[in-house]
Amino acid sequence: MNKVVAIALREFLATVRTKAFILSVVLLPGIMVGGMLGMEKAQQFARSERMPPRVLAVADETGALRADLEAQVERANAERPNQPFGLVWLPPGSADVAALAGRVRSGELYGYILVAPEAVEGAGGFTLGRKDNQLQAGRAIEEMVREAIYAVRCRAAGVDPARVAELRLRPVPVTELDGNTGGPVTSNAFARVLTPFIFMFVLFMGTFGIAQGLLTTVIEEKGSRIVEVLLSAVSPTQLMAGKILGMATVGFLLLGVWGGVGVAGARSYQVTDMVTGYRLALAFAYFVPGFLLMAALLAAIGSACNELKEAQSMVFPLSLITVIPMIFWFYLAEHPASVLSVALSFIPPITPFVMVLRVCADPDTPGWQIAGTLALLWVSVLVAMWAAGKVFRVGVLMYGKPPSLIELARWVRYT
Amino acid sequence: MADALVLEGVTKRYGQFTAVDDFSLRLPTGEVLGFLGPNGAGKTTTIRMVMSIIYPDAGRIRVLDHPNAAEVKDRIGYLPEERGLYRKMTVADTLHYFGQLKGLRGRALRERIDESLERVGLQDWRRKRVEALSKGMSQKLQFICAVLHRPELVILDEPFSGLDPLNAGLLERLVVELRDRGATVVFSTHQMNQAERLCDRIVLINRGRRVIEGRVNEVRARFAGRVVLIDGDGDLAPLARVPGVVAAQITSGHARLELADGTPPNTVLETALRHARLARFELQRPGLQEIFVKLVGGDTAPAEPVVSGEAAHE
Repeated sequence: MNKVVAIALREFLATVRTKAFILSVVLLPGIMVGGMLGMEKAQQFARSERMPPRVLAVADETGALRADLEAQVERANAERPNQPFGLVWLPPGSADVAALAGRVRSGELYGYILVAPEAVEGAGGFTLGRKDNQLQAGRAIEEMVREAIYAVRCRAAGVDPARVAELRLRPVPVTELDGNTGGPVTSNAFARVLTPFIFMFVLFMGTFGIAQGLLTTVIEEKGSRIVEVLLSAVSPTQLMAGKILGMATVGFLLLGVWGGVGVAGARSYQVTDMVTGYRLALAFAYFVPGFLLMAALLAAIGSACNELKEAQSMVFPLSLITVIPMIFWFYLAEHPASVLSVALSFIPPITPFVMVLRVCADPDTPGWQIAGTLALLWVSVLVAMWAAGKVFRVGVLMYGKPPSLIELARWVRYT
Repeated sequence: MADALVLEGVTKRYGQFTAVDDFSLRLPTGEVLGFLGPNGAGKTTTIRMVMSIIYPDAGRIRVLDHPNAAEVKDRIGYLPEERGLYRKMTVADTLHYFGQLKGLRGRALRERIDESLERVGLQDWRRKRVEALSKGMSQKLQFICAVLHRPELVILDEPFSGLDPLNAGLLERLVVELRDRGATVVFSTHQMNQAERLCDRIVLINRGRRVIEGRVNEVRARFAGRVVLIDGDGDLAPLARVPGVVAAQITSGHARLELADGTPPNTVLETALRHARLARFELQRPGLQEIFVKLVGGDTAPAEPVVSGEAAHE
């Protein structure tokens, strides 16, 4: 046992002292905070930047929109004076898409709007062609045309469009409460959507990043043949246990620091109702088995390979699975109780990430699912440790061609 | 006292290739064994099996009277052929770490570290990182790592390779010190003169098979009498025709004859006395070098296993 602790301690110190570790402790929270601030700043900057007018050619086959559309453009330009729109009117019936496309290509036009003859009656809409796919500009143009058509319809029905606009503009304020507690919801919507993701991302970086470190040191020790000296003093099982324990301690330190930064960040962003003690505790409860599982798998892979390059190709399928929660995070956060979400929770390597995301998004995640996923996770940890121990014992002294997955399975069975 | 190391019929195969074939050995406690053989003969494989790093396909190994070296790890010191140290660790930390892994603690460990560093002249390097050491220095560091815990059995795989004569000499003295302290030492080498200086016994392995084994002087004695040197005035040429002489180099006044196994040197002496006035008649005791070359040199047809001493294996 003392030897395991000695190995763990060395592993811990050797990792914590590296520049890469110190950087990652500081860097990840830094990037996150910087990214959020940066996005806000970039948007502010974009608003204040002055752009040349974007000119749209309009072929109005209804012949009734001109005044209203011009009024709409005027209103929009007043709202965003730095990104103005301009209009040129084409005589009805003269619209030629090919010619217009040429004018867009030459840069003369930003785009063109072709309004169908029966658009006011609702028997056809309008066609919009433009230079790029900018979301905001597209929405603004669509809204302007629509509002103009509504205004024409209103007048046809004997209603004053200005009166309608006025009625619609009168605000209907919403007060949100936390549905579970009846308490106030302090966080802003953006932070609330993002917090579960941040929880998951931090857990992911902690787990995968640190376990990857384990892979690297195993391969290094194998490559520099230190492993032979080590094995003359300790058993392979002790060696693996010590290394995993040491790296787990590194993971705890890292998550502790990030967790602290997270709580502080939650205070300053007023999302303390999102970063609760319960959620942090649960994150740690999932981190431990999640990390151990990943560590066992990567230690086994590392022991079987001689070079990082070989290992990377063996790790690839594993990383492919672990990015699933990253790809589906928005879906998982929006539909935490859906069948797919529950099903993904029961795939051991990604259980911690999916569950942390779900629990953060939905405080009502059933207890049986939490207990069930944790139990499954721990069972898979035991199985993985057992199998990895066997692979490790054989692999760590094997040089030459790395084994295929089938050969690895054989090691597990026969040793 | 029980033998420190016993191997009986140990065999290790890698697929079609037999790395070690029916290898037997008995090493009494307190002796120094030279493990000799050309590159790829199976020395490292055998040592790894002794260390329980790999396991034999057949045969039996007993280390310090235990079936598995893993059970007595703290009583064995091992210097593997492929050297490795943590490059970023300091010299003192390295010794501290490996000492801990061998079960040493606290003050005793610190004292041993000071003592060992001083003994090999590395005391000024204790705070330096391993990557700053020269090859010779890191080899000395590894050596003291391996014996820091005063093991009863020391196994050194090519401990002298790549060392300058000064450092090699230092390491030789350290090996002698280990033996004087009562440790049993096994080291592999292909430098015969070194083996001759340091070893009580040798075992020669070639292509995985034991070729010869025994105490150094016994081994040399077995090969003595096969080469006869003669100096004298007269006609030495007839000596080449004496029955049993398989090779002869004869110049005026000097003859070097090789005799077939079992040829009594007396027949040669009688012929020589008839033809010349002798100044010298010597049955040469060959060095290990010559024995090595003789037994291993004609590699295509390995010599019949020759065995002497009490460790004879059936």
